[in-house]
Amino acid sequence: MAGLSLKHIYKVYPNGTKAVNDFNMEIADKEFIVFVGPSGCGKSTTLRMIAGLEDISAGELMIGENVVNDMEPKDRDIAMVFQNYALYPHMTVFENIAFGLRIRVIPDIKRDKEGNPVLDKNGNEIPIMRKYTNKEINDKVMEAAEILGITDYLGKKPKEMSGGQRQRVSLGRAIVRSPKVMLLDEPLSNLDAKLRTQMRSEIAKLHAKLQTTFIYVTHDQIEAMTMGTRIVVMKNGFVQQIDSPKNLYDYPGNKFVAGFIGTPQMNFLEGTLLKKGEEVHIKFENSDAEITVPYSMLYKAKPAYLDGQTKVSIGIRAENISVKPETVKASSAKIKVKFSHKEELGNQTLVYGDINMQGDGYTETATRIIISADSTVNAQNGDVIEAALDISKLHLFDVETEESILPRIPEYNYLDCNVADGKLSFLSTDIQLPSAIKCENGSYELLIPTCAVNMNGTDIAVNVVECEEINGKYVVSFELGGRRMFAVSDEAVKCGKAKISIDLKKISILKDGAAVVEAMPEVNRLEGKLVKEKVVETVEVKVNPKKDVEVTEEKNVKTKKQKVVKFFLDIEGCRLPCPDSIATKLITAMGAKKAFTEKLIYECTPYGFSVVDGDGGIAAQIDSVLDYGSEKFAVCKVGEKSTYVLCGGNTDGTVKLLPDVDKLAIIQAAHDIRIV
Amino acid sequence: MAKKFRSKKAVERGTNAVIYIILTIISIVWLLPFMYLIIQSLRGESGSSTMYFFPKEWTFDNYIKLFTDKTIFNFPRWYGTTLIISLCVTVIQTMIVLVTSYALSRLRFKLRKPLMNLMLVLGMFPGFMSMTAVYFILKLVGLTQDMGLVGLIIVYTASSCMGYYICKGFFDTIPKSLDEAARIDGASRQQVFFKIILPLAKPIIIYTVLTAFMAPWGEYMFASLIANGSQENFNVAVGLWQMLQRETKQEYFTRFCAAAVVVSVPITALFFWLQKYYVQGVTGGSVKG
Repeated sequence: MAGLSLKHIYKVYPNGTKAVNDFNMEIADKEFIVFVGPSGCGKSTTLRMIAGLEDISAGELMIGENVVNDMEPKDRDIAMVFQNYALYPHMTVFENIAFGLRIRVIPDIKRDKEGNPVLDKNGNEIPIMRKYTNKEINDKVMEAAEILGITDYLGKKPKEMSGGQRQRVSLGRAIVRSPKVMLLDEPLSNLDAKLRTQMRSEIAKLHAKLQTTFIYVTHDQIEAMTMGTRIVVMKNGFVQQIDSPKNLYDYPGNKFVAGFIGTPQMNFLEGTLLKKGEEVHIKFENSDAEITVPYSMLYKAKPAYLDGQTKVSIGIRAENISVKPETVKASSAKIKVKFSHKEELGNQTLVYGDINMQGDGYTETATRIIISADSTVNAQNGDVIEAALDISKLHLFDVETEESILPRIPEYNYLDCNVADGKLSFLSTDIQLPSAIKCENGSYELLIPTCAVNMNGTDIAVNVVECEEINGKYVVSFELGGRRMFAVSDEAVKCGKAKISIDLKKISILKDGAAVVEAMPEVNRLEGKLVKEKVVETVEVKVNPKKDVEVTEEKNVKTKKQKVVKFFLDIEGCRLPCPDSIATKLITAMGAKKAFTEKLIYECTPYGFSVVDGDGGIAAQIDSVLDYGSEKFAVCKVGEKSTYVLCGGNTDGTVKLLPDVDKLAIIQAAHDIRIV
Repeated sequence: MAKKFRSKKAVERGTNAVIYIILTIISIVWLLPFMYLIIQSLRGESGSSTMYFFPKEWTFDNYIKLFTDKTIFNFPRWYGTTLIISLCVTVIQTMIVLVTSYALSRLRFKLRKPLMNLMLVLGMFPGFMSMTAVYFILKLVGLTQDMGLVGLIIVYTASSCMGYYICKGFFDTIPKSLDEAARIDGASRQQVFFKIILPLAKPIIIYTVLTAFMAPWGEYMFASLIANGSQENFNVAVGLWQMLQRETKQEYFTRFCAAAVVVSVPITALFFWLQKYYVQGVTGGSVKG
């Protein structure tokens, strides 16, 4: 029973292929996590890294409290179920299940024949390592066999059993050791459809019974949706979205997730959005269909999408389109569909059509549409029928990036603003700009990151309308000057009147898409590499004639010179001693040769530096000082690059910057791998 | 109108008849030398060859004398020497081949592919190319003549890992997930090898044992070179060849035939004993079949 923590996990093969990219996840105890994605997306690789069957290229994997990157699979206290069962063919079912117990040694205390502890002369119990006794093994195997209902087969060999029974044995082998984490690698893929459904619910039952963390890999989205408490959708080594099944279905973060989850696949149409007052008109490509939705649905969208020019991908699921006459009659969002053909599934009928009157409805195009109908639709190929869209279930995606344009946690608030004499006014609010922000008078676009809004502020009075918890964070939506704005907060905020402050470091002011005032970068990027050096060090060596005697006399202590390998981080020409732990990480991630030749990029926040006098540190030329009122930042030139550093008071000319090694993030430049 | 076809059975019968005739001829050609050898070993008359196939007088004397008459040729000693060498080589070579093959099949290390190719190419050179060099090296360390037994064991086992190829091919067919499952179950690499892989590898172990035993059993070239004329240290092949020298051929030919039969007994026995494992498919049921 333990949670897992995966931090910046990468899997890079020697030829440079990245199988898993920057995998981050916290898995709580007793969760049922499902990794799902098309084949080759890195889900199995991730599982095998957790199991210890593959090396982790970079990143940190924790099971419970321990970092297990460098631990043998057998010491990780995990169990794994394989797609092909991997039963030992020469052993009976009983021996298969017992194998793990037979070879394991467990800590115990020394006992005499009656089972009473044997004490040493001080009256303490004597710890020993021992194997399981036959009785213990027998009991445990019988218990596991009973849970899985395979007691009748214990004497059989695997080849005498059916696929479902074999997979049960495989599960038995996993649960008999009561592992901290159960890993299941597509365990049902080799079973036929009926057995699969049955085993699916049995695994779910097993999870409820064992109360252990389960990690389950599958390419079948139905398995993922039915079993997981949380699902990780992966594609090409990247995590697409981590969320509960319902949230994945209702709020897909991008087009891939939207298309992958749910059958039949979500319909993707292309179109444009045009905002007119409080309404947004959606116009579909290659069709004269047009529907109208209230603007309140699209508060979170970037205004640039609502100009009537930018193409967006409009997703709607088959079950959210209706062809029922009474629904269509009542609906305001009607489109005409050219009927093509239908698939009768018994409980529902899938109607295939095309909103393009020239389309055929068979090929998957940006106009093809699948509608889930419950009754038989009486239409012939070529007929034009009317369908009603459920506009509250529309999903909008960027055509290029495929990201949702209505993210659940919006990143920015997009506003119009005016600057006059150092005063920033937006939505009937004025803010005195600090001297750090210099901007000519005029009207601009204003970008306020949602994380820059502090809900416990003092400056601006707002009316909080809604507070929604999403993945441990709270998205607060509030009204200011008649506009809806959003903020991300770590704690819940009550609805009603509140005061907010805006972190002016993070805002950007734009004119025609070009930045006039840029937000201060959150991290500085510096370049350098890892350096190894042999240093002659004087070491005190205890010369001790007799063992087990404390060295007290000074003459017994001699100094000796010996060579020690030390590691340094070269940051923009400055050398900092590198802790061995970091050096080890770098070398294991990049390989012993490359570690010292490849370029590294260091990321350091403006708060991660200390300004020092004298030797050491990176020589930097102070360019200017940004004064944000409460905090001052010096913009220093390191080489060609600008580096932002928190500074106390008066500083000009040349300074030495000393980065805090513990707070550095180190990235391998060539492959963009975050190592530390 | 039904088209007339030739009866399928009739065609089959005709083809089979042809096939069986050919097979019979081949087997007669193949078995005749063996028959001749056995019959000659039971011949009572002396002389190297007769003008007739079946002897006039049948006797077991040749076998008895082979083991009792040690005046010129000490056959029992040769037989013992050869047996010791072959058994030692079998044990050592089987172990080396299995371990090498497993490593090459399962572990991924730098230069694995080049190493495999190198071993394959080296294994293609006939061993006697290095004969003289090997002889002088063994002479230097004193492993010829009286110590020839040790020398021969070393020579025969030295290159055994080159025979990894067939064995590795077999290990490759054992699913890797078995190794992985065992490692997760808590087994170390050695435990995986001895407890999971070896029990599954019976057919290939048998194959390795048979080939490892047969090679030194009938080997002549190295054995004669390393014994270097020292009669006491001959193996059976070298010794038997001595019987066929011009001076002794007339008297000892029938005894030679008897010896040849005796020599073939262990291999035949070994094969009969182990052949049932040859066929046994053991991986059935381990994975989805």
